Amino acid sequence: MMNRFDHLPTLKIDGNTKIPFEYKGKEYFGVQGDTVATALYANGVRMFARSLKYHRPRGLYSLDGECSNTLMEVDGIPNVRTENTLLKSGMVIKEQNVKGSAAYDLLGFLDKLDWAMPAGFYYHTMHKPAMIWPLAMRQIRKAAGIGKLAPDFQMPGTYDEIYPTADVCVLGGGPAGMSAALAAAEQGLRVILMEARPWLGGHFDYRTAAYKDGQTLHDRAAQLAGEVEKADNIRVFTHTSMVGAYNNNLITGFQIGQDADPFDERYFEIRATAVVVATGCIERALIFDNNERPGVMQANCALRLANTYGLLPGSKAIFSVGHDLGLEAALTLHDLGLAVACIADVREDGQDEGLLTALRERGITVIRGWVAARAHGKQVKKATLTSIDGTATQTLDCDLLVASAGLTPVTGALTVAQAKLRYDNHTGYFLPTELPANMHAAGRMLGLDSGPAIEASGRQAGLQAARDCGTDVDAAIRAVRTEREHLSGPARGTKFVTAPVKGRKSFICFDEDTTIKNVKQAIDKGFDVPELIKRFSGAGLGPGQGGIPGHNLPLYTAKYQALSDITIRPTTVRPPLVPTRIATYAGAQHTMFKQTPMDAMQRRDGGIFRNIGVWQRARYFSEDFTCQAEIENVRKNAGMLDGSTLGKFRIHGPDALKALQRVYVSDMAKVKAGRVKYSAMCNDDGCVIDDGVVVKLADNDYYLTTSTARAGQTVEWVRYHTRYDGWDFALVNLTDSLGVINLSGPNAREVLAKVVDIEVTNEAFGFAEYKEFKIREAIPVRAMRLGFVGELSYELHVPSSYMQSVWIMLKEAGKEFTIRNFGVEAQNVLRMEKGHIILGQESEQRTNLLDVGLGFLWDRHNAAAKKVGAVALRQAESDPSRLKLVGFKMENNGRAPRDGAVIVDQAIRGYVCTARDSFTLKEAVGMALVDADLAKVGTRLAFFEDECDGKLIYGEVVKMPFYDPKGKRMKM
Amino acid sequence: MALTITCPICGPRNGYEFRYGGEEKGPRPEENNLTPEAWCDYVHLNECVAGVQQEWWFHRDGCGAWFTIFRDTTTNLQTEQPEASQ
Amino acid sequence: MLFKTKPMWGRQTGLKSSYDVVIIGGGLHSLATAYFLARDYGITDVAVIEKNYIGFGGAGRNTAIVRANQRTSQNVPLYKEALDLWPVLTRELDYNLMFNNCGNLNLMHSEAAMKAARMNIATAQFHGVESHLIDAREAKEMVPALNISEDITFPIHGAMYHPPGGVLRHDAVVWGLARGAARKGVEIHQQTEALGIGTQNGKVTSVTTNRGEIQAKQVLVSAGGYSAALIHGFLGIKLPISVLTIQAMVTQPLKPLLNHVVSSGAYHAYANQTLKGEIATGAHMDPWPNYTTLNTAYYIKHQAEALSEFLPCLRGVRFMRIWGGLADMTPDMAPIMDGNNQIEGFFMDCGWGYFGFKSCSAVGKYMAEFIATNTCPDMLKPFALQRYQEHRLMGETAALVSYSPDN
Repeated sequence: MMNRFDHLPTLKIDGNTKIPFEYKGKEYFGVQGDTVATALYANGVRMFARSLKYHRPRGLYSLDGECSNTLMEVDGIPNVRTENTLLKSGMVIKEQNVKGSAAYDLLGFLDKLDWAMPAGFYYHTMHKPAMIWPLAMRQIRKAAGIGKLAPDFQMPGTYDEIYPTADVCVLGGGPAGMSAALAAAEQGLRVILMEARPWLGGHFDYRTAAYKDGQTLHDRAAQLAGEVEKADNIRVFTHTSMVGAYNNNLITGFQIGQDADPFDERYFEIRATAVVVATGCIERALIFDNNERPGVMQANCALRLANTYGLLPGSKAIFSVGHDLGLEAALTLHDLGLAVACIADVREDGQDEGLLTALRERGITVIRGWVAARAHGKQVKKATLTSIDGTATQTLDCDLLVASAGLTPVTGALTVAQAKLRYDNHTGYFLPTELPANMHAAGRMLGLDSGPAIEASGRQAGLQAARDCGTDVDAAIRAVRTEREHLSGPARGTKFVTAPVKGRKSFICFDEDTTIKNVKQAIDKGFDVPELIKRFSGAGLGPGQGGIPGHNLPLYTAKYQALSDITIRPTTVRPPLVPTRIATYAGAQHTMFKQTPMDAMQRRDGGIFRNIGVWQRARYFSEDFTCQAEIENVRKNAGMLDGSTLGKFRIHGPDALKALQRVYVSDMAKVKAGRVKYSAMCNDDGCVIDDGVVVKLADNDYYLTTSTARAGQTVEWVRYHTRYDGWDFALVNLTDSLGVINLSGPNAREVLAKVVDIEVTNEAFGFAEYKEFKIREAIPVRAMRLGFVGELSYELHVPSSYMQSVWIMLKEAGKEFTIRNFGVEAQNVLRMEKGHIILGQESEQRTNLLDVGLGFLWDRHNAAAKKVGAVALRQAESDPSRLKLVGFKMENNGRAPRDGAVIVDQAIRGYVCTARDSFTLKEAVGMALVDADLAKVGTRLAFFEDECDGKLIYGEVVKMPFYDPKGKRMKM
Repeated sequence: MALTITCPICGPRNGYEFRYGGEEKGPRPEENNLTPEAWCDYVHLNECVAGVQQEWWFHRDGCGAWFTIFRDTTTNLQTEQPEASQ
Repeated sequence: MLFKTKPMWGRQTGLKSSYDVVIIGGGLHSLATAYFLARDYGITDVAVIEKNYIGFGGAGRNTAIVRANQRTSQNVPLYKEALDLWPVLTRELDYNLMFNNCGNLNLMHSEAAMKAARMNIATAQFHGVESHLIDAREAKEMVPALNISEDITFPIHGAMYHPPGGVLRHDAVVWGLARGAARKGVEIHQQTEALGIGTQNGKVTSVTTNRGEIQAKQVLVSAGGYSAALIHGFLGIKLPISVLTIQAMVTQPLKPLLNHVVSSGAYHAYANQTLKGEIATGAHMDPWPNYTTLNTAYYIKHQAEALSEFLPCLRGVRFMRIWGGLADMTPDMAPIMDGNNQIEGFFMDCGWGYFGFKSCSAVGKYMAEFIATNTCPDMLKPFALQRYQEHRLMGETAALVSYSPDN
């Protein structure tokens, strides 16, 4: 294990606290504060993984996770970005995508075959003859993919979610973000500050260069962070990556839990009035031959290894940079003991004189107008430098090549929020020209370089955000603007992308192994804009998305095509800006269903439940899914069904009847007090959307039921179709406040009589009548005599809180008849035998009210009511070619066809809705939708079932209902 | 995108609380002499404006009101006026 | 530009003042129609005009899933022919369309759904399309990652297994058709925006573009999600369409895990593994019309919740990219293909919702026949616009229309 610095003020590790972990089966130690990758680096690991296509060795290149170089399997979880995942005690680390190891990979030879795999090569190969493609595809699939997931993998951990609101949400806890948060907080606003790293400070934190007046950047960061922590109205979330920004300032992200947190990761959705984006910069990759070899790393990666993690990244280094930060890193690292062989700077001039002097004093050569051309060795041993015109070269030994073309602003948060960016010639950045409402950008991402200027821009953005929240800060904004006039503006940046090399091994995208040569090939084929190059060559489609190629691709595309102006747009940045686990997005899983008041009792009674719509309902009461016992009990004795899911409503007010006339097909003026009126609602195509009963309580005061499925939409529906009328009525959803017991069977009356005080004889309480009464002078009941299942039947509507009591009373009363439960499936068969339809089962989009045999409900003469569906019914009623609902019996006492069997002659002519071998009727019957010309009674139907091997079975159209055609039983 | 809709009763709320109810087409037509073309136009046909349209919304997880707003279908942002905001 | 390059779909030429046929939209249906016009009828004086780049709309933003297990007997044969055409096109275009014939598993989550699936399956089998109903255990054997336990929101009862389906590389289909059409003489004009369609005496005469006016006697609008707005804007013809953003996303790439397309209506989700190893998943449409193609926070979370339930091992993988495209939905989830009807010489091919990719090969063939012969082929007759007036919605979905085509 390498020695760690232990005296630097910038360190975030505690070198005295050792953390054990397992890597490739052996135990190693990191220290408190390490990431997995820095701990491995400290233990001498340089090759972390192999690349996707060519299996090239890859090493630590960045510490911000913008490429897949350090993706590894950690504790069985694939694709963990080890460079910014904190090391925990006992972690088990494995390499991915290697045959052998990252250091010795048997598939490493693929790197030599790149000539056979130009951009888009697979479109032109492997399809001739056709039979080789499936074989080739299998090999491609095996080779592709990084990381393995077993089908039975169970993601460990606890996941949470949180939906805070804020006046101002600040993205990025660097100097600009902290300044913005403080400025907004000073106005008394509620501020949220999100920072992906474990600490605030941004690039100030790991730099010891001067801020001003003798203070270092690091000390300044600590000072600002202290102020932020003191402000009660700033909520700071560290370890929190922002992943999405949406209209109206909805921000999403996730936080990685620490030891004290009750979650491993938690999903964030923040609604803020205003947002400040201060996400700073990362480095822009420098492209040359073998620019992604282990031993090549970005300037800030090298600097942070030392200053943050106490690791000297190498012993002898060459720097190839395009920005003063590269010079600053060389200087700092030299002073910490790194031998710097030389610094190539792509800039001919414009370097900070102070840095140049300091480097000169230390004897470090800076060659201007030069750049790295090639890294040598599987792990860097030497590097060739070249003048940028390619005329002169020299090769030097080194074990570290620090390479960085410059900086690139992290604009993802802006672009996903639909900000407009334009290329800026001075900075070389794509800068925002148009921001969404109440969103502001600040700091280094705008090209600012000097500490005070960065902070001032943060303060200004914070104040602008405060103004969005309605505070009076105009004077303060003016003051900060004036202050900024005296501070430096955006710094000049370089547009340099690639060394003067052919580009066969020069990688513009590490994740997809896309080279400069591939990009040229794509452009030559006509894919001449970044978005097309991305699709054709894969650049930017890998695990790190546009992190590495995002900025370089448009720069290079413009350069290769010799465009005078960089009007080319970068590829579209898409969320999640940081790849986010499905477990994290899912958060705290919650399945939500409604349960009826009878739920627990029905489960105790052996109910087998199903999720039906928003409800859980008892579908069966035994393992016999034909429900023979339940059905026969209803037909011969008495059964109870929990119908509480039925929609229940009261509509009242001066225009209640008008509203009913609009939505029901029948003449609702004819609903008589004390009677139950069955009717239906259609949509504007004339399709039946709902059926139920209506009871008149008083003038313009009705109680009505809807099907279970429609209960949630009924208020919306009635109000929609009356929205222009200005009618005065109230519609109250009583579905959850009332339960329903359906008591059915020839013994139902005797059971009920034992529980209620009113007279329940057929004369006193006849079919289709409605009664209100109280049980034991306490429990109010609304009772209807209906016959959905075709037997003597009472539907009792009972306040939910009394449901169990009434149920128990009925059950006690029914003991002598061995009353029993029946479920939804038994009801389904019972009503089918009776020829009663269930909407959606015997009806569909192609059938209207008339087609399913409910035309008798329609009051066709009331055009003034503008009944919903009436126009369509009138226009379609003479169409002879529609689907019609019919009943059928099977020939020769044959078995019933399976539901869903199609009815055929030369073509498909209909299908079976519901068919059963009826226990009651001792024969197979069913209902089907058929073309109208097959609907006549006596027509022979041929049923084609799935897997029937062409063997048809036959039936015949018969009259419905099958059971008790005169309806005597339900009226008895 | 996070659609925010301003309910006349409840104020600005998360768009997922609401149900979309179609383009504004005026009151139901009179039924007498209504041709199939006119009926179809009212019930099914849309202008599919790529821009600002007037449209119906129902505050499903709220007050239960139907109301119309103007919204730019290219940005999903509510606008004050029928004209495009730019 | 310094270097004159030769795109795969022909060198960029000027726009002529007249073509026999102008096709508006540079997506799959347009390119396929152009290809078959040239291949089957020798009609090559054709311009495909595209506002952006070919394949930038729905053609590049679809599931890439193909199948022929639709609901009605008007639809199944069309999609069957589309399936049969992929190997033919791969050979003819000499372009690897990367058809992964992995089969589709459409999960069923209730007894009622199983019954509905049986009707689809019987319909498929009657038309000679392979499709089977399998139970949950069989589904689990095929897709070991499936969660067939009872304690999820929508427990899996079984699946409709459809072996002839699978996934293609959608970009390859765009580029292959473009190259094939261009080689036969069709002109593809990118960065060319249609601004209007000229008519005289009920006949199409011209198309106005941002690069000038083109004379044409026949014009096809097959511009995906933008068709309805264009047709209304150019000709005042309103359509029963709602245009919605539909989203999809991919995870980081994994070694082979899913060997079939898995989809679920109840969870509003499909998932399949691309050749690169990503799990591609999506399905949900915004519940209101819009042209934004923006993704939503709501949906990516919904998708994660759904996958966590029925493919729980995926909880360990990360989403890395989400994007949106447009679906132009009709009330009956079936397209509108019509021509010479409202205006002579005007053809439309739209309303595909999220079925545009899987149908493009066959529709290109039949729309080409329609345009070349001026006679509607039998295969396309049921898809005429007239059906909405006649109250004859197609039933491709059983669901009823409430307020507008999208809900």
